[in-house]
Amino acid sequence: MHFASPKSVNKSVSIWISLSRKSFGYAILFPALFVILGLNLYPTVSGILASFTNKSLIDPSHSAYVGFDNYLKILKEPVFQIALVHSLELTFFAVFLQVILGLVMATLLIQNVPGIHFFRSVAMITWVLPIIASVVMFRFLTLPNYGLINVLLRDIGLERLGRNWFGDETYAFLLVLIMHLWRNVPFYAVAFLAAMQAIPTDLYEAARIDGAGDWRQFWFITLPNLRYIILVMVVLHVTFTFNNFDFVYLSTGGGPVNATEVLPTYIYKQAWNGYMLGYASAGGVLMLVILVVLVLACNSLTRGLAQE
Amino acid sequence: MKGRFPIRRLIIYAGLLVFYSFLLLPIIWLLLSSFRNTDSIQSGRLLPGWSEITVGNYIATFQISNFVTYLVNSFVIAFSVMVLTVLLGSLGAYALSRFTLKGKRLFMMAALLPQFFPYVLVLIPFYVLMSNLNLVDSHLGLILTHTSLTLPFALWMLTGYFNAIPKELDQAALIDGCSRLGVLFRILYPVAIPGLVVAGFFAFVVSWGDYLFVSILSQSNQTQTLPIGLQTFMSSLEVQWGLITAGTVLAIVPTVIFFSIVQRQLVSGLTAGAVKT
Repeated sequence: MHFASPKSVNKSVSIWISLSRKSFGYAILFPALFVILGLNLYPTVSGILASFTNKSLIDPSHSAYVGFDNYLKILKEPVFQIALVHSLELTFFAVFLQVILGLVMATLLIQNVPGIHFFRSVAMITWVLPIIASVVMFRFLTLPNYGLINVLLRDIGLERLGRNWFGDETYAFLLVLIMHLWRNVPFYAVAFLAAMQAIPTDLYEAARIDGAGDWRQFWFITLPNLRYIILVMVVLHVTFTFNNFDFVYLSTGGGPVNATEVLPTYIYKQAWNGYMLGYASAGGVLMLVILVVLVLACNSLTRGLAQE
Repeated sequence: MKGRFPIRRLIIYAGLLVFYSFLLLPIIWLLLSSFRNTDSIQSGRLLPGWSEITVGNYIATFQISNFVTYLVNSFVIAFSVMVLTVLLGSLGAYALSRFTLKGKRLFMMAALLPQFFPYVLVLIPFYVLMSNLNLVDSHLGLILTHTSLTLPFALWMLTGYFNAIPKELDQAALIDGCSRLGVLFRILYPVAIPGLVVAGFFAFVVSWGDYLFVSILSQSNQTQTLPIGLQTFMSSLEVQWGLITAGTVLAIVPTVIFFSIVQRQLVSGLTAGAVKT
């Protein structure tokens, strides 16, 4: 046993501290790392691999490599094509209308009128409710016999316009779109409101002195300052809408006659009712590819606008 | 921008009326109907008579077999997901914010990526994984699943929150003999409460509302949650909308109460880092 000089003790202690400091950092990161990599990335990678096999729900542990067969098959499937078109339409119209309506609602919410704090504070309520609850509400509102919509139509003498809304091929899709708007527009509004409040007020005062009216102020000051938050919300909701399964599955199940079928519901049914896990995975991978393209497109579109 | 003229104010209120009728009417109609008896709901009248108002739907809902089980399952799972997300998220965020680790940026990106993955794709290998681990139809399986969905957001948001807290604070505490974990719990936690609350709320709401994963990973009453229960009610109790509306109200009350508590912090948390350009 020998005595180290104070200096070397100091050094070894500091090495020990820096080592343990690092390993402590890794140690406390590990659980989150494990959950995220193990339960998110691993399933996705193995889902991509499964799309090249004939994996079936009947015996998921055994499968054979089939190359691109699933992809060729699914791309030729008419219902898949219908679902793809519906998904793109729904995503485009929902996000486009959400941005517009979100801007309008935020412009209302930023006004200093009595009672505005109440409106601001309850705004996000639709966003926090479980989607099944929203679906129950909309199904209940649109019941053919005693739903509120048809009752109101009858009361104002327009009974002939009443119908079984979710059972109608045209209106079912519209209702799915409306439910997306109902849930998400307030989120846009509140996010835009926060960004609007961060814009320095002297910008507006200078504009007013220069004789710019409300509309020009909105166009030349508010909108450019919201560009970044708009991009964030668009990317978030393109992803949400394109991937959303619950609204359609719980309200119409994809019907009537595929009128509301979207990619998530089609793929889900192929996997869990049709037992074709490999085939469904191929559909999922195609969704992922399309989504990546959509997100990149949103990104470069905004960049392009920013450079103007 | 003050309402300079009454006419301007009038337009603002008219606009708000349009938006909020659309947003609140479905909720109000649901609430009102849950207190009406079946005849009243089916009468096609807008407002019920006093004699038609009842709490019978709520009593009946609790008597439907399984409803209480669904409620308890939802609470157990959503609460566990909330605790686990905040705990693991804050530990990870503490590591990412305060320690120099290799591959930090890569990991941050990797953690964000899953947010874009189609859940219907992830679900398939998830099911295979969970059945290999014998976790299908177990609370633990659902808790882990939901936590993996909520953790990336919590990790990102909390890392941002912790980065905004001066490092001098934890150095001072370390010198005073506080342990490294002590720094997290005694120094960072109190300052980051708004962030922790939003992360917890988000985790609770996602878990409480999830239908997709529960529909596959849960296969019996032992683990099924309220969304599954409500969907079953809707398809099997076809005409008993009194029960369905009452069950739905019971399912939204916890999130509404929770929301009213965190409402102020919610937006800044959800768009963390996004508002500042």
